[in-house]
Amino acid sequence: MKTLSLKNLRKTYFDPYAGSQVTAVHDVSLDVEQGEFVSVVGPSGCGKTTILNMIAGFIPYTGGEILIDGNLVKGPGPDRGVVFQSFALFPWKTVLENVGFGPKMRGVPKDERDRTAREYLALAGLSHAADRYPNELSGGMQQRVGVVRALANNPAVLLMDEPFASVDAQTRMTLQEELTRIWQERKPTVIFITHDVAEAVFLANRVVVLSKGRVLDQIKVDLPRPRVWDHLIEDETFKRLSAQVLQMVRAA
Amino acid sequence: MLVAPGQKLRSRVAWRGMNSLVGAALFVAPLLVLVAIWAIVVPLFNVNPRIFPSVGSVAEAAVAAIGDGSLIRHIGASMLRVGLGTFLGVLVAVPLGIAMGVSPAVSAFLTPLFRFFSVLAGIAWIPIATLWFGYGFGAIIFVIFNAVFFVVAYNTLLGVSTIPMTIRNAAASLGAGRWALLTEVLLPGALPNIVTGVRTGLGFAWRGLIAAEMIATNVGLGYMLFVARDFYRTEVIVLGMIVIGVLWLFIDRLLLVPLERATIERWGLVRRT
Repeated sequence: MKTLSLKNLRKTYFDPYAGSQVTAVHDVSLDVEQGEFVSVVGPSGCGKTTILNMIAGFIPYTGGEILIDGNLVKGPGPDRGVVFQSFALFPWKTVLENVGFGPKMRGVPKDERDRTAREYLALAGLSHAADRYPNELSGGMQQRVGVVRALANNPAVLLMDEPFASVDAQTRMTLQEELTRIWQERKPTVIFITHDVAEAVFLANRVVVLSKGRVLDQIKVDLPRPRVWDHLIEDETFKRLSAQVLQMVRAA
Repeated sequence: MLVAPGQKLRSRVAWRGMNSLVGAALFVAPLLVLVAIWAIVVPLFNVNPRIFPSVGSVAEAAVAAIGDGSLIRHIGASMLRVGLGTFLGVLVAVPLGIAMGVSPAVSAFLTPLFRFFSVLAGIAWIPIATLWFGYGFGAIIFVIFNAVFFVVAYNTLLGVSTIPMTIRNAAASLGAGRWALLTEVLLPGALPNIVTGVRTGLGFAWRGLIAAEMIATNVGLGYMLFVARDFYRTEVIVLGMIVIGVLWLFIDRLLLVPLERATIERWGLVRRT
């Protein structure tokens, strides 16, 4: 079953510096099945973040359509959970309140949403941090909160915009492993934007390579799960797929 | 050795208590030195009490003013005015500041205006206030309202416009509507600036209040100072000045600083300097 469908998606805008219309996304069509994990990879300026922002409803698109479970996207909404590169947690809310924010907006009573939030915090190994404020946590912990905050709202699609780009390399690997584990447990539909080829392959069932606002190619990733860096780093299939994607991205 | 959590907490509280005691002592020490110099210099040079009073006469004036209830009456009148004026100012300024901050065009247009009026000290409003409201309560409230309103509105505007777009987007993608965006994001996000605005505004208001009371009323600390001058009662003037300063320190340290600490500092939005 298709959860997300992009049909001939297009984005042009007026660039005041160039003094002309610029096309950031030319003609992108993409179908994502329910429970699929899709990485979108490409060099900077390829339009990947623009596409994500359009799916999220943060910016309007100028052509084509975006459908979530058959419904046309017209603006931001709780059917699409977003995980931001800058975390974007509410600094004035505790970790528990941050994670319970989505349910609160749906009118879920406090007891129930606290229970939901605690359950998701446990999923991310954050039970001990429930009553802390975001600024009291490390970057890696903040982004774990960011991920479960989006998940706790039970979105049809989870949109992740280079979520691990601003944490250190070791933490990043841990977060990637945790994300694959959480994905296996909950099977959310995920669109994961990144410029890191190894990350794209490590996480996904399918890697979409983007170039100059167009889909260049798509590669299925049939690596076994659970995925762990210690194993995959030596894995021949992983190496071959990564090399393949890397060549495409560099040629892009 | 095992330490129970409660015990640890208690010792931490005790340590913090010690720290604040030391802090208070360090704060009061220079003031005590000033009083000591005053106590030595005035008798030493045999200063005319019409020019400057002795420590003893000010203390006597304090006892007398407390005894006959006049000091409390003046303080009460001043506090009521500053409290009411500030309350009204904040009440109007915060919603307006947020409304303006939501629209970039409106905030760009109004920012210079609010900046201009927020540096225009409260005292500058006194002449026109007395023309509009006559001498008395209304004029003084108006002066305080202005001192607070523009600073708070400007800071609220600033606070709202500095909330990162990603945080608003995050709220929207979690299902927040307009009202929730206002109460859950814009208001708390602007709170550090609002508190800064209230602190600055109250400082202006306090100065404006004293000035206004010298001109436009017959009760209050400013009035107490001004009337004492007519009778060369320097000890009452100095007593009034001390009370004005001490009251402000109490308002700032016991009300505004803890408010700042309790909320925005924990959120990591500002660091106290």
